[in-house]
Parts: sequence; structure tokens; C-alpha cells
Amino acid sequence: MDVDRLRQDAAALLADGRARMVIGFRDRAGDRVPAFITDAEQAGELVYDEACRQNLAAYLKKAELARFRPVAIVARPAVMRSLVLLAAEAQVADADVLVLGVSDDDEYHGILDLAATAALLNEKYAEMPHDPDLVKRIEEISAMTPEERSTFWTEQFARCTRCYACRAACPMCYCTQCIVEKNVPQWISTAAAGHGNYAWNIIRAFHLAGRCTECGACEAACPQGIPLMLLNVVLARDVEEEFGIKVGYDAEAEPVIGSWSPDDGEDFIR
Amino acid sequence: MTQAEAKSTESAGAFEPRIVAFVCNWCTYAGADLTGTSRLQYAANVRIIKLPCTGRIDPLFILKAFEGGADAVLVSGCHPGDCHYTSGNYHARRRWMLLRNLLDFTGIDSRRLFFSWVSAAEGQKFADLINDITGKVREAGPFDPTNPARRQPWT
Repeated sequence: MDVDRLRQDAAALLADGRARMVIGFRDRAGDRVPAFITDAEQAGELVYDEACRQNLAAYLKKAELARFRPVAIVARPAVMRSLVLLAAEAQVADADVLVLGVSDDDEYHGILDLAATAALLNEKYAEMPHDPDLVKRIEEISAMTPEERSTFWTEQFARCTRCYACRAACPMCYCTQCIVEKNVPQWISTAAAGHGNYAWNIIRAFHLAGRCTECGACEAACPQGIPLMLLNVVLARDVEEEFGIKVGYDAEAEPVIGSWSPDDGEDFIR
Repeated sequence: MTQAEAKSTESAGAFEPRIVAFVCNWCTYAGADLTGTSRLQYAANVRIIKLPCTGRIDPLFILKAFEGGADAVLVSGCHPGDCHYTSGNYHARRRWMLLRNLLDFTGIDSRRLFFSWVSAAEGQKFADLINDITGKVREAGPFDPTNPARRQPWT
């Protein structure tokens, strides 16, 4: 990809004040870590390659960064969808965010506002298939007996240390008070074991139903390697198949959970 | 089966399913009431929890029921179009659709999660429903105490 153009655009945005901060990636001893750039001269630090998997839209809602708006964010298509979704949920104003668009196959899309981002998504990335490896794994797990599935997930969730890195990595987990921290009454046990781990992981996934853009940041952030994306894709697939909705393409869209249609299927209700 | 009979079979060691029913105040609860006032007999395995509307039923309620020892959960409310609050049941329907598949995928299989619409006039339907799902859960057996959704003793 043309990283030089990305650096030039970032420097130009900061120099003429269209953005007060650019959030992108820089290199730290071979790792790709987020870069928070406020000075045009630092724009040369920016890098971009396929190792840059973090969803930088997660920083947009951090209170510490509020004073740096408007913010320009380096975003691949899944991250662009997160941003459009944040706008649809009235979490970000059009004037507060710009996108430095990069594709998953090394193309640079330049500086985009939210409207242009949504237009680009609809034009070029309307068909973003679910990760085929995940779909295959989901089919395998669905084919197991309920007992086998339960055993499989017992083993997965048993590793959870409740560090909540999945939550911190997700741009859609922006609640100022999370249900898991609510303790009167306590709905989800905070002990890193058994039913608390089950409830946490299920509710985390469910609260992202119809809101997940499958960027994969939660699973990448998990230090215990819990396959969170399996849960997210199960839900995303249902949202698509049952309600015909692909999220993150329309900043005016109603939330999937929170709206309804009289035509929603109900073959499971008697 | 009367409650006394249910108790005697339970103490005899036979498996008696524990079913938690989350029902709405306006339709299913009134329907269950009608079952009673009509003197219709139904299995005593169901514990009814009344809520204002099915739209009030958070997935956490269902998880909490399984956590605390339920063998199955029933969620029941007004038929589409009949919601006291106009659209609570439509909102709930969307949520259940997604939750049901997610729970099935993670080991609480759909033999333990039931959904129905029972109106205030359907006393007979409520009795039949409870008898039917009690039979089904009895067949499925107790909910595995080692399932990750179940509250575990400290080790």
C-alpha cells in the first residue's frame, strides 16, 4: 500500500486543522501499536500493513480523547463499518470524525467523511463475506451433540480470566457502566470461573448482536485465545439470514435489536 | 398432577423437571389464571414469574434461571398484534430468535428453551402447553449439572 500518501494526508489534516489528532499505527520493535499523532511532523511514523488488526474506532469514545476531536482514524472496511454504526447509534457526530480509508488488499482510499465512508462501503464492500474458516468451524460445532458442544465451551470459557480485554478492544462496547460491573443486584458473577464466565461471554456476544462488524479485534485482544468470533459470527449470520440486515452500511439505520418487523420469523414459537 | 402428587413422586426419586416460566402480565399470566379458574389440571413443574411484558425479559433472566437450577425455561406472552404496550412482544421475538440459536450453539440446547404466545382466553392452551413441555423435558432428562451455564460449587 502507498503508505506515503497516508502520511501526507495525515500531515495535511493536522497542518490545516481539519483534524486535531490522527489515530493510526506505528512500529514498536516489530509490533504494530496505535499511534496518536497531534503534530504534522510526526505523521512520518505512520505505518500500515496486514499486521494492523486492531480496531482503532474503539478509541473514538474514550473520554481522554474527546478534546482532540475532530479525529482522523486509519480504518479498513470492518472499522469503517464500526464508525458508520457508531454514527447510526448517535455516538459520533459527522463533524467529529474523518476516515483515512485503507482496503484489506492494499488499496488506499484517501480522506473520507462519514457520508463518503458509507458510500464507499456500499459501492465497494457491500458483500463482505463471513470468514470462511469461522463458518466452517461453526458448522462443525453445530453438528456436535448438545453435550459435546457444552463440553467444548466449558473448556473455552474455563480459560477466561475476566480481564475484559475483549470489551476494551471493541468500539461498540462504549457503555460507561457495563452490566458486568453492576453489583446491586449482581447479574453476572465476577469470579473468573464457571457460570460467571459463561454468562459474561454470552452476554458480551449478545449485547453485540446486530452491532458486530466482525473486525476480529476482541478475539485478537484475548490473551487466553478464546474463540469469541465464533459467537459473534453465529449472531451476525442470524441477523443477516433472519432479518436480512447487514450492519454498518447506513448511518440512518435503526438498531437491529430495538426495532422489529411484523414479518420476523416465529417458527420456533408455539 | 396435583402439587401433592408431584411432591410424592419427587421424593420417590423420579426426575421431576423444574421449569421456569417468564410470562407477561396481560396475556399469558391471565391465561394461566383462566386455566386455574376453569379447574383445568396441569403439571405442577412450572414456576411462573410474572413480568409486565415479554419485552421486559432480558436474556440475563433466562441465564439466571439456568444458573440457579432450572431444567428448562418457558417464555410466553401476547400474540403478535395483541401486546398491551403495542410492540413489546415484537421486540422480544427478535431477541429470542438470536438468543435461542446462541444458547443452542453454546450448549443449552433448544430442547430446554420454549417460546409461546398464550392469550388471556387460552386457558386450555396453557394447560396443554405446560403438560407438553413437561413431558418433553422429562424425556430430555435433567439439565447437566456440569454445564457451564449452571452454578458450580467452589472447588
